[in-house]
Parts: sequence; structure tokens; C-alpha cells
Amino acid sequence: MRPMKVWRSLREKGVLGINRRNSRYTLRWNPRHFYPNVDDKLRTKDLCRRAGIPTPELLAVARHHFELRKLGPQLMRLHDFVLKPAHGAMGNGILVVRGRDGDRFVTAGGRKLVLGDLLYHAAGIISGLYALGGQPDFAMVEERLVVHPEMATIATDGVPDIRVVVYRGVPAMAMTRLPTRLSGGRANIHQGAVAAGIDLGSGRTTHAIHQRRPITTHPDSGEPLIGREIPGFKDLLSIAVRAADETALGYVGADLVVDERRGPVLLEMNARPGLMVQLANRQGLLPRLHAIDQTAQEGRSVDERLELGVKIARTAGALREVA
Amino acid sequence: MNRIAAATGLVLVALGLGIFGWKVFGYGLPVIAQDPEGLWRIELSITVRGSGARGSVRAPLPVTAPGQEVYDERSVSDRLTFSIRPEGQDRIAVWRGQIGDIHDLSYGYRVRLAPSKQGLPAEIDAPSRELIRSFGRATGAFPSGSLQIAEVLEQLSLPPEQDVPGRLRSIYAFIAHEIAVLEGGSDDALITLSNRGGSERGKTALLVSLLRAAGIPARPVLGLELGPGSPRETVWVDAWAGDWVPLSPTGSFFAARPAHLVVLRTGALMGVESTGTQALSYRYHALREHLRADELATLMVPPNPIFAAISLYQLPVPTQSALRTLLLVPLGALVLALFRNVIGFQTFGTFMPVLVAFALRHSNLGMGLAMVAGVIGIGVLGRLVLDRLRLLLVPRLSILLCVVVLGVTAFAIVGKDFGNRDFFAGVLFPIVILTMLCERFSIAIAEEGMRNALTRMGYSLVVVAAVYPIMRNARAEHLMFSFPELILVVMGCLVWIGGYTGYRLMDLIRFRSFAAPAEGPA
Repeated sequence: MRPMKVWRSLREKGVLGINRRNSRYTLRWNPRHFYPNVDDKLRTKDLCRRAGIPTPELLAVARHHFELRKLGPQLMRLHDFVLKPAHGAMGNGILVVRGRDGDRFVTAGGRKLVLGDLLYHAAGIISGLYALGGQPDFAMVEERLVVHPEMATIATDGVPDIRVVVYRGVPAMAMTRLPTRLSGGRANIHQGAVAAGIDLGSGRTTHAIHQRRPITTHPDSGEPLIGREIPGFKDLLSIAVRAADETALGYVGADLVVDERRGPVLLEMNARPGLMVQLANRQGLLPRLHAIDQTAQEGRSVDERLELGVKIARTAGALREVA
Repeated sequence: MNRIAAATGLVLVALGLGIFGWKVFGYGLPVIAQDPEGLWRIELSITVRGSGARGSVRAPLPVTAPGQEVYDERSVSDRLTFSIRPEGQDRIAVWRGQIGDIHDLSYGYRVRLAPSKQGLPAEIDAPSRELIRSFGRATGAFPSGSLQIAEVLEQLSLPPEQDVPGRLRSIYAFIAHEIAVLEGGSDDALITLSNRGGSERGKTALLVSLLRAAGIPARPVLGLELGPGSPRETVWVDAWAGDWVPLSPTGSFFAARPAHLVVLRTGALMGVESTGTQALSYRYHALREHLRADELATLMVPPNPIFAAISLYQLPVPTQSALRTLLLVPLGALVLALFRNVIGFQTFGTFMPVLVAFALRHSNLGMGLAMVAGVIGIGVLGRLVLDRLRLLLVPRLSILLCVVVLGVTAFAIVGKDFGNRDFFAGVLFPIVILTMLCERFSIAIAEEGMRNALTRMGYSLVVVAAVYPIMRNARAEHLMFSFPELILVVMGCLVWIGGYTGYRLMDLIRFRSFAAPAEGPA
């Protein structure tokens, strides 16, 4: 395919490229001093707890190597949990323990680890191995969420999450990331997870991609991927928007999981959300971001902004039909 | 791109190019002075034999004049006294003394030649009386008053006297086209004319005679023609048209002296001569020359007190050589920025490719990359083993560093067997970079999978390969060192790249399905 042709159609459809995202959106709307609000997951959690935003329960924290000794017995008491760095990026360094086999811990991928393995991993986290800048980090242990059965049917051994891009307090676009066998149970698109775009109004999936190619059924299970409803999507959007308000960042990605018992729960926030959400929706972000820019959102209530986001998503969709 | 960024970039580029242009066009600094075009070392070797009587040997020496600069002269006088005698505008080397058996004399110099100014002067004043007296009158060698010469002029039906260029052209054309160059032909003007052919010297004498008869002062010139072989003595004519204008008697140049001719003597054609000797032989040698560091400095420092004060050529030589390589790094960073922000390659570490290319600049690229790959391989294996030991980060990285050092040492030993010492030259510096590369590569394998990690490593190595030729380009090095203001241009380009908000090439690949017709339910 000719590059110029691709270039033109990307412009036509308002696809946001990395350079523009960095200079116009993240650099412009995410002041550096607010980054700790999202890069430090303990801080995000704290902000959310105060605002009444549901997040996974914090079970233990180890800030220093000497605290690992205390962490051992704490972990031994738990059945299932997630061990992760407070400053991790791109899901790096996250270890999910889904259950126990006697003294051993069974990971989401089915590997069996002993306590020493977990403490070693925690030590690596504290040393800053997974931190964005290699700075000393905290290891945190969180409640493992149980995927809502509705979502579990369309994901294979892993936790599917939902990414909502929130721009200036208005939800702009959303997708769900479904782990596959190829992705090793991780909701990481680059490693082979499926991404499905979600219609903001109905909360239903509209389009799905796997390895950048459009698909209609899950590559492992054959489950249909189009028109699936995300349970509690309205609440989910409102959580994403409120969390974005708390972090004070103007262009963020909120990652949520729909828990069986608790409904939508905020996992983490991302100050540099990727652009695959556009491929998953088969829509460019720019028309929506421009539309949001053209309306004053500051000072509006969460509900009003949700409505605005849905309306803009619908008109931008209509625009695409015309194009 | 926003306007402020575009304007800032423009200001930086304009400022850098402005200073650069000022130095190049205003002060005539050569952009690429490394090029030894027109720079020669010439040596005249003379062997004389005498019977013990007093005698002398004379040789014309070139002088610094428009189009040629003579310097760095040396003479060998071999028991004779050496002196230089001025003769008009020329200089004559004279060796004097008792010439016994064999004397080996020599005179060497360096000369920088540039093509002389082209064309005839626009305004031609009438020649001064002094000029006419010296170069306008008939002499034995140049019989401009003779009947035959007058006849030729009549046949040529020259343009009027004020039209000096027209007269020059007619006479030049006559000599170039109507008079042949004959092997062993006569050196005499009139014999050459009546034979319609003669030697180069004969044609020169005829040309001078015709010009003088036409009222144009003219003089013969003895010179050296430099070429791939030994230099050859040659002669041509200077005609006065407001200035001395060179004319070739064989028709090879008119009003512009080619840059391979050195003027040895004007006004007379005597070459190397001797008196009181039994035998004389001489020959010229010429070699293309390269600039020496100090000459480069005089050449590259502009004659302006401010520029001269901040010229890097004033620094001590070791500092200079360090700066020479350092100044290339911004160019590497520019290429890196292009690859990352315009093409969209993901690399390991921001400046890693530049630093690796910098470190490899003394070795062969293929070997260098193979070595980097080998060291990374060793490092990754080492890290796999270390993983089992469950060590804390900093000690583990330090052990990895040791492994990398051992790996490089092993390569040095292997390199010695290959007899390639350069191989190892630049490696010491990037050990820490290589260690971090091993670590990041290992993490990338674990986190992103082997395929993604290898892809990113591939991109990193492509950028290394792209930056590498710049890091070892002598011209780029010279350019940046002589014109460090070009860093402003690099900065301006970086501002532009930084302000570029269009798609990256990799975006086009990533999102190419947007260009495909819609399919499936949307």
C-alpha cells in the first residue's frame, strides 16, 4: 500500500499519531508535576480511596528490602493476590497469583512458585527494575480481582481490562483488551491480546483486532467479539472520568476491570495512553478530541460530561460514515 | 508544528548557516580544506660538473603571485654559495663558487595553485609608458617591427586599436589555428611564421611579436606544467589588457591560466643555466601535498579577531582531536532523532545507538556489530544464570558488568589472533552501555517476548549502522570542527523534528488498516 495513500486516509479519519499525541496532548495537558499521581500506583490508590473510587484492595506493601522479611508471612497467609511495582509501566513486573498448591503459589500462567521466588521478584521491584526511571520502587500486594463471568467468556486465562481515554474530563474513546493464549494471559495488545472497541453510548463492542488485523471471533475460544456488552459500562465510564479528575491530568488512559462482586474497579491510570484504541475502534481520536476542545467542559458535572462524551462519540461516528 | 517552534528552528538554522556562510563567503574559508587540490611540493634537482674553475648555476624560482602561493622553500647548495637575486618581478636562484667535481644542488618549495581569475578586465586602460618600454618594443627575440609580422597583421585585418579584446582574440586564433606545433620545430619567431609551424617556444615568440606589433605589450612566460608524471617546462604568453592576461601559444587556454601551471619566470624564457661548468643536468619532481595541521589552522582561522579568538584551531592539539570527535555527536543525535521521531524506530536506551556507533568508529562496522552482538549474547546468558541466584539489582548489574568486561577481554584476545588491533580500540568506553543493553534486552525478552525484543534490538542496530558512517566521516568531522556554528543548524533541525506533529512512518504501518476498505460490522 502506498505510504501517501495511507497518510491521506489517516488524516481523513483523524488518526492521532505518536508525535501529535506527545506534543499536543500529553505535553500540553499533563503537567509533569502531576505524573506521580499516576506513576505511583500507591498514590493513585490513595487519591481514589479518598474520592470513593473503587480500586483493588491493598493487602501489603514493602518499601524497603528489610520489609521483605515481614512480607513473607503476609504472603503465606494469602490465597490469591497480585504482586506489582508501584511505579511500573506497561504492565511490567506484575505477578498474578491465582491460587495455592500447598506451600507453593500458582501464577495466572500456571507456573508454580515458592515464596523465595516471590520475594526475589519483590526485591527486584524495590530495586527499581520495573520502575519507569529505574528509581527505587515499592512492591505492593493487591487483592486479585475475579473477572465478571460476562467478560470471562471472551478472554482466555487472564484478566481482560477496559481502557478509557479521558480528555479534559470527557470520555473520548474506550476499548477492552482481552488476553489470549498468545499474550500469555496478559492484556497487552503488543504481546498478542485482542483489542475490541466499545461504543460509549451502548457499552457494546463494535470492532475487534488481533495482531493489528480485524477479527470477529476470539482467536482461542471462537466466542463472538462484536456486540458484546460490557457489564456496568456506564458506572465504569463515570469511574474513569472521576479518576481522571482526581489525577488532574488532561489526557489520560484509565484502566479498569469489571469484578464479579464489585463491578467496575479502577486498576491504574496512564499518563501516556497508547494509540491502539483507535485501531480497536477503527476510528481516529482527533475528531473527538477537537469536538471536546470546542465545548467548555470545565465545571460541568460528571454526568453532563459523560453525556457529552457519548454525544461526541456518536457524531464523530456519523462523520466517519460520511467519510 | 506550532509557529514558535518553526520560527525558533528557523532562527537557529539561519544563525548557524549565516555564521557559516559569513566565514565561507566573507572570509573565503574552504568548506573542505582537507582536499589537497592544487597543493604541490616541487623540487628542482640540479647536477653540475666542473673542472675546478669558478662558475655559477642559475635557476628561475616561482614567486607568490595571483593564482599561486609559494612557501616553505628549502635549498641544498653542496659547497657552493647560494643566493637569490631579484630580477624584475622574478627571482633567480644563484649558486656560485668553485665548481670542482660533481655538485648536487636542489631547490624545493611548496606551491598552492588556484585557477587565475577568468576573462579579460572590463575596462582596459592604455598601457603605461613604462610597460610599453619594457614589453612593447621590438627585440631580437621578438622582431615585432619586421615586415613579415606587419604583413600578417594586415591580413588579419584586426579590429580598431581600442578594441584590445578583439585584437587579442584575432591574434590568438591565428597562432592557435594557423601555426602548427612541430616536433623539433624552430624556436625563432620569423622562421616559425614562414614555416607556418614551430616549437612551443617559436610560437610563443611569434605570438609576443604579433601582439607587440599590434600595440599590445606582451611578454613570454616560462612555467611548469604539473601532472601525473614529472613536471614539464612549458612556455606561454602574458598579454597586457589592463592586467597580464595569459594566452596559450598552443591554443589550450585564453585569458585564464589552468591550475596545473606554475609561473617560474616572466619576461624571459631562460630556464636553468650555468657558466663555468662542464656539464649540467636538471629535473623537476612534483608531488601532490596534504595540509599540515598548522597550515590547516592558518587556512581555517578567519582573519577576524573575534572569529580567530574563538576558533577551535587555536586549542592545543590533543584538545582539538578530542573535540573533533565530540562535535560529531550532535550529528549522530540528529540522525537518531530522525529515526525515532520521523521514522518511529523504537531503540534500546535513548542515546545507546549513538554511543555504540561512536565507540565502534575505529573498527569495521560488520566486525563491530558482530562484537556487540557477541558481548550481548554473553551478557544475556550471564544474566540467565544470575537470575537463578536471586541477587539484588545493583550487585547483579555489577556482576553483569564483569561478565561483559570478560567478554570484551576475550574478544581482544581473539582480535589479536586476527591481527586486528583496531578491533578493540574504541571498546573500552561503552562497556557500561553494553551492560545496560544486556540488562534491558534480557528484561525485554522476559516482558515483551523474544520477538519484540529482537525487533527492537534490530531497530537499535539499524540506527547504529546509520550513525556509524557519520561518526567516521573525515569530511563531516572537519566541517563540524571548522564550523562549530553548524551545531546551531543541527539544533534548529532538532527543534523542527521536535515540533513535527505529523505521522511517523511506523504510524503508517501500524494504522495502515485504516486505509483499507471497511469490513465486517463497524
